Amino acid sequence: MAKTETVTLDAAPRSWLPPLDGGTALMALLIGFMGFYVLYPLILIIINSFNTATIAEPPVYDLKAWREAFSEPGIWRSLWTSVKIGVMLQLLAMPVGIFTSWLLARTNILFPNALEFGFWISFFMPSLATTFGWMLMLDPSTGLINAWLRQVPFLSGLNFDIYSFAGIVFVHLVGNGLSTKVMLMTPAFRRMDASLEEASRMSGASALTTLLRITVPAMTPVIVVVFLLSVIRIFSSFEIELLLGVPWGFYVYSTKIVDLARQEPPLVSHAAALGSIILVFLAIFIPVQRKLISRRHFTTVTGQFKPKIIDLGVWRYPATAFLMAVVFVIDVVPLLSVLGGSFMTRFGFFNLPRTWTLEYWKMALNDPRILQGLHNTLIVAVSAGLIGAFVFSLIGYILVRTKLPGRGILDAICWLPSAIPGVLSGLGLLWMFLGTPFFRPFYGTIVLLVVAQVLGGITLATQILKANFVQLGKELEESSRMSGAGFWRTYLRIVFPLMAQTMVMVGVIKFMFAAQHNSAIILLATSETRTLSLLALDQIAAGYREVASITVILITVLTLGLAIVARSFGLKVGIRGD
Amino acid sequence: MSYLRIQKLFKTFGQVTAVNHIDLNVAEGEFFTLLGSSGCGKTTTLRMVGGLEKPDGGEIHLGDQCLVAPAKNLFIKPEKRNMGMVFQSYALWPHMTVFENVAYPLKLRGIKGAQAARKVSEVLGQVGLAGLEERPAPALSGGQQQRVALARALVFSPKVLFLDEPLSNLDAQLREEMRRELKSLQQRVRITVIFVTHDQIEALSLSDRIAIMKFGVLEQVGTPEDVYFRPATPFVRDFLGKTFLLPGKVSALSDDKIQVAVQGVGAASLAVPRANVIGATNGFPAVGQGAMVAIRPEQVDLSGRSRDGEMNVVEAKLQATQFLGDRYEYTVTLGSETRVLVSPASQGLKAGDRVWLELKPEGMTLWPAEK
Repeated sequence: MAKTETVTLDAAPRSWLPPLDGGTALMALLIGFMGFYVLYPLILIIINSFNTATIAEPPVYDLKAWREAFSEPGIWRSLWTSVKIGVMLQLLAMPVGIFTSWLLARTNILFPNALEFGFWISFFMPSLATTFGWMLMLDPSTGLINAWLRQVPFLSGLNFDIYSFAGIVFVHLVGNGLSTKVMLMTPAFRRMDASLEEASRMSGASALTTLLRITVPAMTPVIVVVFLLSVIRIFSSFEIELLLGVPWGFYVYSTKIVDLARQEPPLVSHAAALGSIILVFLAIFIPVQRKLISRRHFTTVTGQFKPKIIDLGVWRYPATAFLMAVVFVIDVVPLLSVLGGSFMTRFGFFNLPRTWTLEYWKMALNDPRILQGLHNTLIVAVSAGLIGAFVFSLIGYILVRTKLPGRGILDAICWLPSAIPGVLSGLGLLWMFLGTPFFRPFYGTIVLLVVAQVLGGITLATQILKANFVQLGKELEESSRMSGAGFWRTYLRIVFPLMAQTMVMVGVIKFMFAAQHNSAIILLATSETRTLSLLALDQIAAGYREVASITVILITVLTLGLAIVARSFGLKVGIRGD
Repeated sequence: MSYLRIQKLFKTFGQVTAVNHIDLNVAEGEFFTLLGSSGCGKTTTLRMVGGLEKPDGGEIHLGDQCLVAPAKNLFIKPEKRNMGMVFQSYALWPHMTVFENVAYPLKLRGIKGAQAARKVSEVLGQVGLAGLEERPAPALSGGQQQRVALARALVFSPKVLFLDEPLSNLDAQLREEMRRELKSLQQRVRITVIFVTHDQIEALSLSDRIAIMKFGVLEQVGTPEDVYFRPATPFVRDFLGKTFLLPGKVSALSDDKIQVAVQGVGAASLAVPRANVIGATNGFPAVGQGAMVAIRPEQVDLSGRSRDGEMNVVEAKLQATQFLGDRYEYTVTLGSETRVLVSPASQGLKAGDRVWLELKPEGMTLWPAEK
């Protein structure tokens, strides 16, 4: 009898908590896997910046690459240019974004929901579409707007050249620069306790004074978070600079790295030296950023939702007109111009005998390169979506729900990719696949692209999942455990089905990232594994604008279209105010 | 002429009529309370006076100034009305210290430097927060935040002070303490106060006059004693405190009394003073008509000795008795109603006993029978 009892006592805790060794092993596995996945390529970059041999040769370590890289002024200039673009963009986007969010969330402008949807569209629209759409408008010689300006008396001297510093900043702003801020800040503005503003009005302050002295300062924590999230992306931007800067020899940090790695002979160790500098910068900045973001000075955004809004009086009409103009510029112009580009015999030439044509669509739909690009895009994006949703939901669950040691480390590793420019992870993965015998057979296959793109958007995905796990009632899982189910059974039978909707959304986000972003895969793809968006970059560079329009439309339909479907499943973006 | 005059004030939210043509007059220096359950329109009325909500119709005047009149397209913005308000959530600005919160209205009025500092410390002293100037606002306790909100609303000597359920977020003990302080503060600074609450104790204890609202309409306006002892409508009667309701028939009339035979509580007959008849119109009361006698539990004396047949005595059943140290509580059932009576002395009674209740004539009110 006594012996049986001992056995029961031993077994009891095992069925309640995940077996201690099992949990620790799982944690060790995840940290090891994610650490290898995220950190190892970066370490390779630093090591190889001291390696002057080519990838295939045995390594030779010296400081030659560093010396050469930094005796060339172009490298320093590209870094400085990245900073200048980032600063300029934030100087414009932050105030406009704050003002727009306030208008959308706190005032009685007309059509607030439709206008907010306009920013939502812009947020999910591939930057390729915005960039290309505005290229068709603002090309100095063929751009539609410039062509029109030449015909207007007195304005014929005006010419907006999109291939310029100002052009790049403008496209950043209308691409995601503004809409990201509006998407993140509007919900927070909406949840702010309206009586804070009312108390200011009663104290004798006008609506404008209240906005500047009360609303914006009270929203500082949210504004700081949005600012920090944006600042760290300075070094990540890629497509816009590639399309608008490289043609006139204007390089930023990310395009410079690609240029160094792709020139003949490739200067990969120079690229690695340049990348290492950014890694050092990030190693200092990321902990500061995390600390600032996690520190909560004060809670302004209370749970209670008070739909009291500010009456703008006669200003409600100009304010609405302003937002409509912004939405027109960020959504309507690029979409229409890309669409027009695909159906016009020659884009912008309305006086040709045959202005409109279906020729390019017929050509494109029979073009094996486009079909292969579509095929590749679907493989990469669907894999990224599926793997991402499963792996990151498990990570999110472990971070929120378990007390396993090492959660802080895992959380930090998942935070990293948001800060690491795609070009750098691509460069690191290139080394990993070429330099490690075990991985070498995969080089040149589409597996590389999948591996690179699964990382994209992991921070956003983990944050969304974490937020949702926190909301999921713990009792639901505990009752499963009390009923006798173990950790894995509870996860698969209770948590997984309950979180299905969130996982679908995470999968969709991963899919969109993978289908839109090029910076991580541009160094890894070959002409056989090229995705649609890489193909579009090549087509634009080669000057096939009409066909490029069609590729861009396909990408837009794949990503924005999916986002709209996901929206009906409740896809939401925003910062939780607390 | 009254100080604050509200005329035919009207406001709808979509299909819902929040405030339905109310008229109110508040005298200068008066502590005036809007009392009602949530959704009755009391806060909306307050916000319209403050300018935070625009009425759909009617007018509001303060002194000789018209604040809002939609018909004349006249609306004075809240910041121009010079009125102070304490919000239910206190609405302290989290990015400012106590001093900065309280000094904000002064700054907007061009009062700065030493003069502002003197005023702030004076008003903080009045609310009992002297010396806390440099604390960040969110670092204070609920009761302290409440006092800062009060100081901020008072610092610029507003014409009217609005209090929107200011005590509802405090715990019971603190609420009682704040209630007393609020009253003494108002008496010291002699400011006109409009107070919104759903708590009848707060309303009765603080107010000079009370307006009881229901579905956007004023049910009764009067002093606390008025509305408590002489409720004008069944709603007011049932909203303020507990009452026994005894249905019966008018059996005889005299010059100063109405005799009512009540059913189901012994062969009792009640004599209600004629002055206590509510709604004496349309030939009510007349012999043979259905009627209701209402009385507060505190106007009832309980006795365990049989008093069958006596005037104004009814028979009831004792359900439970509880000893609370300084008093006894008796739960009695009278007709269809169960109420708690309080008595200082033990009468050796136990649950299930028959008891006799003497209803004090001055406490009884007579109402037409309810359909």
